[in-house]
Amino acid sequence: MAEPTSFDVVIIGSGAGGAPIAHQLVLAGKNVLVLEKGPLLRTQDETADGRSDFRRDELLSTGAEKRITLDGVANRGAAYYSSHVEPDINDEPHVYRTASGDDKATIEGYTAQVVGGGTQLYGGVSYRFTERDFRLQSANAGRPLRDDPNGDVAREARDWPFTYADLEEFYVQAETLIGLNGQVAGQIKHFSKDSYQPPLRPNPISAHVEAGMDALGMTRYRTPLAVITRDHEPSGRRGPLPAAGPDTGETAKTAFVNRYGDPLGFKSSTYVALLRPILSRPNFALRPNCVVTHLECTGRTVSKVHYLDPSGTPRVAAGKVVVVACSAIESVRLLKLSAAADPAFDAAINQDGNGILGGYFLTHCFGGASALVDAPARYDKSLTLDSDWSSDHCATDEFLEANQLWAGAALYNNTSDRALPLALGRNYQSRDLDTVWDGFTGEARLTGEALVGFLGDHFGRGLSMTFMANQVPLKSNRIELHPTVKDKWGRAAAYIIKGWHPHDVAAMTTFAQVCRDVLWHGGVRKDLGAGGVYGNDDLARCANHVLGGARFGTDPRDSVLDGDCKAWGFDNLYVTDGSCMPTSGGGNPTLTIEANAFRVARQLKERI
Amino acid sequence: MPAELIALDHQYVLNFAGRCLARADGAARHDYGQYGDAGDSRSRACEGWRFPLIDSYRDAARPEIGARSNRVTFVYAHQGDARPPIAVIGTFATLFEPLPLEPVTFVGEPTAYVALSVLVPKGQVHRYKLLVDGVPVLDPVNPQRVTTADGEAWSRFFTELTTQPLVLSRRELLLLTRLTDHILPFRTTEGQRFLQYFYSGADRQAKDTQYARAYRLDQPVGVVNFIDKLLAREENHHAIDYRLCLAQIDAILSRRHPTIDVAAIPKESFIDLYGQLASGSIDGWDYASYREPQYFLKLLRRHTYTGAFSHPRHGGNVGAVAWAYLESTFRDDANASCFAWQRALEPPLGDNAAYVG
Ligand SMILES: Cc1cc2nc3c(=O)[nH]c(=O)nc-3n(C[C@H](O)[C@H](O)[C@H](O)COP(=O)(O)OP(=O)(O)OC[C@H]3O[C@@H](n4cnc5c(N)ncnc54)[C@H](O)[C@@H]3O)c2cc1C
Repeated sequence: MAEPTSFDVVIIGSGAGGAPIAHQLVLAGKNVLVLEKGPLLRTQDETADGRSDFRRDELLSTGAEKRITLDGVANRGAAYYSSHVEPDINDEPHVYRTASGDDKATIEGYTAQVVGGGTQLYGGVSYRFTERDFRLQSANAGRPLRDDPNGDVAREARDWPFTYADLEEFYVQAETLIGLNGQVAGQIKHFSKDSYQPPLRPNPISAHVEAGMDALGMTRYRTPLAVITRDHEPSGRRGPLPAAGPDTGETAKTAFVNRYGDPLGFKSSTYVALLRPILSRPNFALRPNCVVTHLECTGRTVSKVHYLDPSGTPRVAAGKVVVVACSAIESVRLLKLSAAADPAFDAAINQDGNGILGGYFLTHCFGGASALVDAPARYDKSLTLDSDWSSDHCATDEFLEANQLWAGAALYNNTSDRALPLALGRNYQSRDLDTVWDGFTGEARLTGEALVGFLGDHFGRGLSMTFMANQVPLKSNRIELHPTVKDKWGRAAAYIIKGWHPHDVAAMTTFAQVCRDVLWHGGVRKDLGAGGVYGNDDLARCANHVLGGARFGTDPRDSVLDGDCKAWGFDNLYVTDGSCMPTSGGGNPTLTIEANAFRVARQLKERI
Repeated sequence: MPAELIALDHQYVLNFAGRCLARADGAARHDYGQYGDAGDSRSRACEGWRFPLIDSYRDAARPEIGARSNRVTFVYAHQGDARPPIAVIGTFATLFEPLPLEPVTFVGEPTAYVALSVLVPKGQVHRYKLLVDGVPVLDPVNPQRVTTADGEAWSRFFTELTTQPLVLSRRELLLLTRLTDHILPFRTTEGQRFLQYFYSGADRQAKDTQYARAYRLDQPVGVVNFIDKLLAREENHHAIDYRLCLAQIDAILSRRHPTIDVAAIPKESFIDLYGQLASGSIDGWDYASYREPQYFLKLLRRHTYTGAFSHPRHGGNVGAVAWAYLESTFRDDANASCFAWQRALEPPLGDNAAYVG
């Protein structure tokens, strides 16, 4: 029997932007195919021998050394270390342009390549954006802003085609179905419903952050995290033990959280929360290890989805509706490759006639502060989730007014960073995924007693604060196809071209100072450093947040998608991952990507 | 001995094959100099060292088998349309009985892959060949190869907790033990005291098998064994760095101490040498044969630290000794432990009630 090739909906990518749509449409009885490039890695309860494909093993998250062998990149020969679910750089590189104009291959800009996408590896910090984040154009009209002499910000900012109030019910839906713990009180966003499970006790090291925020008069709340602490009925997951009493759910704590898939399934990836519960339905097909190579159109209809199966054999699928949700860079790349193969596709996707697809690529302005607590205090950071305390202090209108900034930031402390011994060594003085190990290996004096001293200073003593803020949208920040570098299938690699606007730098400096103040007032002062990510070597840095490049809007000459995430020039093509965002939001983006995908799912249910 | 075959998990094979083996171009994307020949099929596979796939195995009905064995999965990717029968023959089973690999399916259809899973005890090294239509060939993706005394080439694999040296000679192991000792915290007075306590403590009995292996190698935490296995497999491309640099170090030390055996060379001499490696200026170093001794030191530092603190399944950190060291050494102001590593990990290493490893 030949496998079916025609579906109501074909969804490309099973992460935050794709899975909510699959979930909703399968429950509504539609025939759904999800094509996912990455493997299907299962939790313990799903495999024949009761062992998960994910492990608590630090060498899975950052593995053995490999070397870049690509021609035509300036970092050929450089070492890299990838996780077991990140694409291999030599096979599927991202290339970015450095400040000096060189091209370098990087692992940055990938989330994860696995069923569940980046939500398998994420730290699970799950904010709603603020009401203001949805209307940054109107909120800034006529306002004087720091380091923005030409008025770029007011000119380039766009309101979203819907408001926070429009999205609110879908935030509730996402929070309910994904499974989060957290606290509403203290957030500046309006909640019509509190769907959080109770948070676990904070790690004792976070008391410093609590004290620092209180000293500064900042309202704080428990960071919303995508980890269940109780049974989760919508996904049929049993919660972590014990199931009752003052320690309820405490066994969910582990430092194997950020950059690790969860063998026990407590972390709410879109796989365990949304896809696994519908896996056995006859109207749902999930095909892992299948990479979509291009889309083919007939007039205004995407008529064929071309993909390679796990053997690399070409196959075709068709859907009444096609949803692209490959994470922003890869979605833009897929659409650009489709456009490169067919001028009609190109014209339909670039309604402005001027290459809007790929333009206005965004990450976040991010950074923070980091320091060591003083002896004799020390904490067990291995019993933790990714963060304990957050504050919307820097997202209030008063703060932004006082600082002449266009948009706010979420602030939170990290608890799982440097908690495990290998992470402590390899992340020492490294700035990003491309420079792991450099600090530790270069500091030759760290041996014997000096190494004991290093471990003594750092182990259980590191504490950091992070801010996550909007980046000013610029058309010159964009994703292209690289002219020469190709992936293992012979497809052009994504080319990341971006820089920071001076107002971004002003914002980062301001937020970093607040992070620093929190630590200082919390009594954490040793080796206190703070800053944003705006150095010359740091242009590739994405904080794992890749957004924009196919933004939605109200004008086909100024956006790629309409307000429902449908491509203006097509009748059945939708893009629902972070690439639709016209501004990146003052907080980690995943919950908003999911809420928006639930919103689009509502439209699609009626349409099909 | 006949091998015990176990049911093939098709999804498991496809998960690795899709990432590592599937590709359209024949470019040598994964040759960092270790293969030399652009035509070598191994340079086309991403992370070819993963093959055959070595994994833990669990059998609820026979827990002791799971604890003692690995699941070893041979995978072969057909090129083009031809689908000749593939079998494997090796020292992990009887050498006269080929074991056929079975087709791996996707959406109910055969793929380019055939595979076979067998149980192999931990701590073992084996050689094998694939039979393509009855013709013996080396595994086209596995970087590990050995030549037997009769000059015949074989592919090789080893299971977890293998301590038999695979790359380094006895003398190299000895030198490396001295060098890594100097980097790690265990030769400090406190570190020595801890090791003493750890290896002779009450816990000893419970994990006796693992510790016994460490003793045999006379390495306090198994780091040198970790490095030997890393050079045999994942970082095969660095075997040459060790070979060249350890030879030079050996020659330099012999010149400095013409009458003393390596094992007896005083600690201070290694400290001096380490300092010179760090500065890049070493009296007697042949820069023509190895240009950048600092590079070697960086490599050694990364490998040493990784070996000490990674999961014991990778060959170092014997019995989790280095984690126990962190747990016992670094305490909070109330003298309580700050590293409850057992809580996260699988028994018998850790004590997590839910996670099985
Ligand atoms: C280590 C880490 C920590 C993070 N922490 C947080 C956090 O705390 N909070 C937060 O909000 N966000 C976090 N993120 C970011 C979060 O993962 C992403 O924002 C989110 O997953 C993006 O959703 P998406 O749908 O755009 O893409 P993804 O969720 O990544 O999904 C895209 C999927 O598409 C697949 N795909 C790509 N190309 C193709 C193709 N051609 N054919 C078929 N399939 C394809 C990919 O394999 C992937 O599975 C983190 C990310 C990482 C890596």
